[in-house]
Amino acid sequence: MHKSTYPGGNMSVVDKLKFYYFHHHHYSQMPEDTSEIKSVWVNYPNSNYDPAVGHTLYNRHMRTIRLADQLGFDGITINEHHNTVYSMTPAVSLMAAAIISQTKNVKIQVAGVPINLAQPNRVAEEYGMLDVMSGGRMEFAFPLGTGMEYWANSGAINPVTSRERFRESLDIIKRCWTEPGPFSYDGDFYRYRYLNPFPLPLQKPHPKMFIVGSGSPSTVALASDFGAGYSIVFTPIPQQLEAFDKFRELTVAKGNTPDSDDIIIIANVYVSDTDAKARAEVKEYQARFWSWFHRVPPKFLLPPGYVTNSEFLRRVSDAALAHGTEATDEDMALISRQAFGSPQTVADILCRWAEEAGCSRFNLVLEHADMPEWMTVKNMTMFCEEVIPLIRKKGIEASVRGKQQPVSVGE
Amino acid sequence: MATATASFKEQHLDINGVDTAVFTAGQGKPLVFFHGAGTVTGFDKLLPLASDFQLIVAHHPGYGKSADDTSVSDIHDYVRHHLDVLDRLGVDTFILAGHSMGGWMASTLCFYAGNRVEKLILCSPAGLRDKAHPTTDLFSIPDEEFLGWLTTDMSIFEGHFEVPPTPAFLAGVYRENTSTARIMWDRNYDPKMSKWLHRLTMPTLILWGENDRIVPIEQAAVWKGLIPDSTLKTFANTGHLLIDEKTEVVEAIRTFAKD
Repeated sequence: MHKSTYPGGNMSVVDKLKFYYFHHHHYSQMPEDTSEIKSVWVNYPNSNYDPAVGHTLYNRHMRTIRLADQLGFDGITINEHHNTVYSMTPAVSLMAAAIISQTKNVKIQVAGVPINLAQPNRVAEEYGMLDVMSGGRMEFAFPLGTGMEYWANSGAINPVTSRERFRESLDIIKRCWTEPGPFSYDGDFYRYRYLNPFPLPLQKPHPKMFIVGSGSPSTVALASDFGAGYSIVFTPIPQQLEAFDKFRELTVAKGNTPDSDDIIIIANVYVSDTDAKARAEVKEYQARFWSWFHRVPPKFLLPPGYVTNSEFLRRVSDAALAHGTEATDEDMALISRQAFGSPQTVADILCRWAEEAGCSRFNLVLEHADMPEWMTVKNMTMFCEEVIPLIRKKGIEASVRGKQQPVSVGE
Repeated sequence: MATATASFKEQHLDINGVDTAVFTAGQGKPLVFFHGAGTVTGFDKLLPLASDFQLIVAHHPGYGKSADDTSVSDIHDYVRHHLDVLDRLGVDTFILAGHSMGGWMASTLCFYAGNRVEKLILCSPAGLRDKAHPTTDLFSIPDEEFLGWLTTDMSIFEGHFEVPPTPAFLAGVYRENTSTARIMWDRNYDPKMSKWLHRLTMPTLILWGENDRIVPIEQAAVWKGLIPDSTLKTFANTGHLLIDEKTEVVEAIRTFAKD
């Protein structure tokens, strides 16, 4: 049974909600017949990539990112994947540098380089450089990297030891940012004579850090151990809530105060005039988001040793994860959060999720699959001009209620 | 021709904290067998050897009934482990046979402890780098094609697992693949293997299936050329799992080992 332990005090999390525009940078051009294609990750032939289309899409994606800044989103979130139409950003720091120069106000959450695929000292200095360039607008979320990234990269990066390597790389990065250099490091995966990155981040002690997980206890513990926040992907909502509770429990056990700002909820959102219209408009794009952009065989999701045997057993018993290309939209919806509806409906859903989870951060996907640009712009604009004001109003009401009696959550 | 009436006796040894399953059958000169990168079909096909030898099959850590050893990172870890197993069993000199990854392991053991190996039998051994005829990357084979790559005779799998496979069976395969990935995710060979095969000075028999799709038959001549006292015997219409596929393979081992 989920029990929220977030220290809300008299202030509702709804009062503090932050909205990040999470952009996947899909390569959205699809072949006419996709029926014979088993995967759009790892081994999808790159003869299907047209650089001219890519150029047009990079420009388009940057337009919506500039718009997100102007509309008043709190931040932009970008991520990195390899060998796939899912993302045209195989080097997320490069994209962050471009976004820094194109935006003024927003935070930029890089979520992030799969650090196992890079040298940790290089990530530390690269991220430091971005923070200084941006005047301290950076946040960094650290993913283990999907199983697919291990197929797409050098065999020297073994999925069997990915979790140990990940922990060591995080340790190196955090120490680079918090201990005066130069110092040496003798790890199981990396040995350094002189860790001494120039430049160091502007934000002290370091930019906000998150660990990206999918509910596994070891990743929750990792986030707590590193004093980082926790972000969750592709996990059924009840397990998300359990992971958040565990995260807070470990935070308290370490003598720290849990903060609703340390948890990120990721959601697919689409707003229109009415619930029926929203669902009808987004339907085909949402279906393709799962059926095309997530098309990947189980083998690529779970390279050997990437998960424990017991976790493997859990996953081969889960429809959305086990059946890969044959999973239905309904299967996939079970491992994600979807808010499609009128401004009021979307506001209500997001507020409920935030209160249930004790979370005040949302990474929102507002462009779905190969949706035309005008729909993305309409969705973003309606979200900022109609949904956010409704949520802010709710926040004030919740705070007023909170002064009379403690806010009850998760019941 | 001996009949396979013998059966394996299972014992467990604690080897440096790793519970190791050791299967023995028969009496006589120890004949040690190093298995390949999977235990699905079991090792009963070797049992005819038990009428002439003390057959010893220890499951490698992370395979079959042996426990996992998360410290394993290369083939040498397995060789050192098996040297400890043999010492614990009181086996001094022995005949050594290995299949596939086990052939790689057996060859590597001979680099260090070849004086204990009276005769060596390599069954479609992995571990050699042959750029012209590379060993197939097991991890790249699509799941649905995997069994067909291993053998020319799919009947060898009958009775060893349910169709469709249960989640528990798949998890068992995932575990053994994880163990294989510990040493082979990056490379499925020792880049320096060919440089040292001259150290295998004991009489050596090389056995190969002519239709092997995992370690191509073309590699057989390279092994034979590099191992001084070696003979090669190949089997027609036979794939990578040659011991499971043809009883003549075990007979060839027996004949060579007894001579």
